[in-house]
Amino acid sequence: MTIHSLMPAGQVGRSLPRLEARAKVTGRADYVHNLRLPGMLIAKVARATVAHGRIVSIDTSAARALKGVFAVYTGEDIRKHIPQPYYGPAFHDQPILALDKVRHVGEPVAVCLAEDAHIAERAAQLIEVEYEEMPAVFDEVEAMDSKAVVHDVLKPAGTFPDLKHLHGKKDTNIALDFHLKRGDVEGAFASAAHVFEHEFHTQQVMHTPLEPMVSAAEPTREGLTIHTASQSPSFVRIEISRLLGWPENKVQVKVPHLGGGFGAKLYIKLEALVAALALMTKRPVKWSLTMEEQFYTISKHATTFRIKSAVDADGKVTGRSCAVYWNGGAYADIGPRVTQKSGFTAPGPYDIDNVAIESYALYTNRPPAGALRGFGIPQLVWAYESHTDLIARGLNIDPVEFRRKNILREGRPQATGTAMKDAAIDLVLEKIAERMNWSAPFDRGTGTVLRGRGVGVGFKASISPTTSVAFVNIYADGSCALYMSTVDMGQGSDTAMAQIVAEVLNVQTENVRVIHPDTDVTPYDMATLGSRSTFHMGNAVKLAAEDAKQKLEAMARSVGVPENANIETREIFKKKYGMQAGNVMGVGSFIPTYKSPDSVTGMSDNITPFWMVGGTGVEIEVDTETGHVKLTKLINVADMGRPLNPNIVETQLSGAAIMQLGFTMFENMEYDAGQVTNASFADYKIPGIHDIPPDIENHIVLAEQGGGPFGAKGVGESATFGVSPAIANAIHDAVGVRLTDLPLTAESVLRGIRLKAGNPIGE
Amino acid sequence: MTPFELAEPKTLNEAIALLDAEDPDVRPISGGTALMLMMKSGVFRPNRLVSLQRVEADYSRIQRGGDGTLRIGALASLSQIEHSGEVRQVAPVIEKTMRHLSNVRVRNVARLGGNLAHGDPHMDLPPVLSSLGAKAIVAGPSGQREIMIEELFSGYYETVLDRNELITFVDVPSQAGWSSVYFKCTTRSADDWPALGIACSLRVENGSIGDVRLMISAATEKLTRLVATEKVLRGQQASEALFERAGESAMAEAEVIDDSRGSASYKSELVRVYVKRALRQASVGATQS
Ligand SMILES: Cc1cc2nc3c(=O)[nH]c(=O)nc-3n(C[C@H](O)[C@H](O)[C@H](O)COP(=O)(O)OP(=O)(O)OC[C@H]3O[C@@H](n4cnc5c(N)ncnc54)[C@H](O)[C@@H]3O)c2cc1C
Repeated sequence: MTIHSLMPAGQVGRSLPRLEARAKVTGRADYVHNLRLPGMLIAKVARATVAHGRIVSIDTSAARALKGVFAVYTGEDIRKHIPQPYYGPAFHDQPILALDKVRHVGEPVAVCLAEDAHIAERAAQLIEVEYEEMPAVFDEVEAMDSKAVVHDVLKPAGTFPDLKHLHGKKDTNIALDFHLKRGDVEGAFASAAHVFEHEFHTQQVMHTPLEPMVSAAEPTREGLTIHTASQSPSFVRIEISRLLGWPENKVQVKVPHLGGGFGAKLYIKLEALVAALALMTKRPVKWSLTMEEQFYTISKHATTFRIKSAVDADGKVTGRSCAVYWNGGAYADIGPRVTQKSGFTAPGPYDIDNVAIESYALYTNRPPAGALRGFGIPQLVWAYESHTDLIARGLNIDPVEFRRKNILREGRPQATGTAMKDAAIDLVLEKIAERMNWSAPFDRGTGTVLRGRGVGVGFKASISPTTSVAFVNIYADGSCALYMSTVDMGQGSDTAMAQIVAEVLNVQTENVRVIHPDTDVTPYDMATLGSRSTFHMGNAVKLAAEDAKQKLEAMARSVGVPENANIETREIFKKKYGMQAGNVMGVGSFIPTYKSPDSVTGMSDNITPFWMVGGTGVEIEVDTETGHVKLTKLINVADMGRPLNPNIVETQLSGAAIMQLGFTMFENMEYDAGQVTNASFADYKIPGIHDIPPDIENHIVLAEQGGGPFGAKGVGESATFGVSPAIANAIHDAVGVRLTDLPLTAESVLRGIRLKAGNPIGE
Repeated sequence: MTPFELAEPKTLNEAIALLDAEDPDVRPISGGTALMLMMKSGVFRPNRLVSLQRVEADYSRIQRGGDGTLRIGALASLSQIEHSGEVRQVAPVIEKTMRHLSNVRVRNVARLGGNLAHGDPHMDLPPVLSSLGAKAIVAGPSGQREIMIEELFSGYYETVLDRNELITFVDVPSQAGWSSVYFKCTTRSADDWPALGIACSLRVENGSIGDVRLMISAATEKLTRLVATEKVLRGQQASEALFERAGESAMAEAEVIDDSRGSASYKSELVRVYVKRALRQASVGATQS
């Protein structure tokens, strides 16, 4: 890895181990999973067995009759307590329990409560639901104009201005249509020397956090306390108080450690039901999903991406049009944001004067899709980097050279018109080429093992505008604590944020106590998502620490301590309060500037506070008799500004790339009439240790993020971007077969090889 | 999971008596790795589980008889078998198979008997043990019987065992003169169940295939011996051309089925390729030893 020097206090830039590592490996870390509250009831839900159908009747009598069952409720029971029981970050479209109809297999229809989880589970199996089945739609392109309509009326939440025009719309599955137009696209195609057009697909996959979703709610004298494995405690509080018509201060949300999140535990998931149940039963209620149930709760969008490019005689891309269809499933979740935020980067990190983008969020009768490590970007990079490679090959130009010719350089406008700033796309590409020894001759293999190599580079804007607030509290003995609502789900934010505090206050990071999210105590944060925390919360934390430092210095002056005196902090407090007493509380609040895209042209001159850049190079071997692809080398490169903690950054890069490797090679939610047929780890396979290539390198390019805390920016997603197209490009390089659908199974590779050889394999 | 009775008998006969020939909801449990998955998903709701844990001491030993036969207790864990020097000496192919069988956590818990009795065609040990000519020693209310591993399976997740019979030992005959390989082909993650398993044991005499046992699993409904393909091979000069022909024959002979690991037509191609490769490697091993 590239070495950036340490900052003056020696804390930022240090590769110290995670603060919570010992607690985790010795089994002492807190998880909601282990939480037991006195008098607690366990909830288990009965789930829909049809993809789209009116609820004719729900028979709960057998479940109620089961010994040990405390209560059984349906959506109608919830509606008596909460008149508008619909939640969601973009649309208020998701009922706490199904009402009137179900929209996907696995949708919660009724809930059973018992002190014994096994009894609750048995009761849930005894619930009989009669449906009048309705036509269903599963494909995102068909959903554009299908007769099957998932929601009778669209109900945007009102938080996002670009969704307002959809309010009250009927007979449509389009939950957002984003359009961007810059330059003269038709003209570019009319005068092009070459035109290339392709269609790419990605499959629906799941986050598989190893700690499945879990939430518990506890009625209190003041209102409700919710213990939840959530990436967005502040949002949970806001949304629960909205549902209940309460002020925010009656809802307390506490989040300990998470066993993985990856976007699955965002916004609001199980919290609405447990909150309702706690109020209805006046007892604490806990609901834990199984791994299997997670497949019916949230997923990553399947997509169709049609991309078309105009290229001039010199190999310069002059025009590009993109149409992207996002399969959002039955409830919008954050899909419309993915559609817009990722949509405007669909032409890729290339300098193209004339671009047109259409990006559609679509309702279908599949389980909902939301954010998953990349917020839609990996689906786009998959398509545009495969397409880019195909153009280079079509023009007989080296794929790296072709990218160099067209790459979006510093200061040049991106599709929205925003000029690129602190986005080292070219450096990332060059670093990959250097580490792959791209210009040297390449061994192409022999016999039945052929070798190939490929690259892919992508970029991402940060979700905006979003706010982070942090407190830094210096106690009278000089020790200090950081209060923030950023959730450490394994990405190392506790450690990185403590390093920022330590750097500013010139103390050891290990001595900074990090207080985990508790909305009664820790201040607002939009959410832990989209690699935003390092930049946004990092800035808030730095401001809070600086504020505390200034207040401490002012206190020192007020008690007559001379400037630059070598005096311990505790002595300043003693002088001020006469004993070990008092606090210094630093507050930091951060919201970057931003301009939302124009509603007609999609243009903005300030579309993001920072850009994330990531790329991957791979070398592979293809077994030409079986189609098996073996990754022999995986090189991940990213621009993340200055790393706060290089070790954590490296594990984020390799972790992201390996996760994307699973989505590339084999992960796939398979369906039969809307039912997921492989909803378990027995049949839905994620990468294991033997799937990881023997040679894996992670690099950070030497860069600095303007406006980032100590020049840093987010890192959690960047190494996902280039993996899928790099591998598909390498397969093409090795055996001349182009795959346009993920996952890249051995079967599809062999089918391609045999088709090309004129000896196709039968169906 | 709903409550059920867990019996923990101390002797094999007690265990057999606690089983019920007629009741599918009474089952023995050894490692529980397969049963627990079925119970968690609600596919299996037991009335009674008969744990074999307390019987284990007597049925988990690995011993070598005077005639070179290897006797493995059916309650030996897969890890124990993996790390046994006796096993390595008699049949190194077993140790190699273990290394790619699921993961170390599963191997520490899962037992040989469970791997065989489950009847899942995706298990790795049935093809390997049957290609070695191994047999299961089975105990029931009316005494003992012996079943060749290749005859243990009657269908998809079905065996010829009665509900109140237990596998107690597996006997692997002396392998002198035999060379064995197992090819596990996965099409998703490396630690997935196989899409195809091909096990091959053969003897080469004066450059010809003296005898051969060729087994296919995972891609077929149950473990199957490729009898017709063995005929193509027996007595023939070992050569690339012969192995090619055997591959073609296996492809035609095996009744391959579709599943999420691949279509039947794709897996048939895999059969052809892996039979060829297995024969090639086994015959190299046979010539070297
Ligand atoms: C994640 C995972 C991945 C796996 N991958 C593989 C793989 O790639 N290849 C592979 O081969 N296996 C694989 N396995 C399967 C594993 O090897 C089997 O689950 C195991 O061998 C079964 O053994 P057990 O002792 O746990 O059986 P149990 O679950 O205890 O029992 C299985 C069945 O056998 C019966 N039974 C148990 N012992 C006896 C006996 N002595 N006599 C008669 N009946 C008996 C039980 O009643 C039950 O029906 C995997 C398992 C898991 C959980």
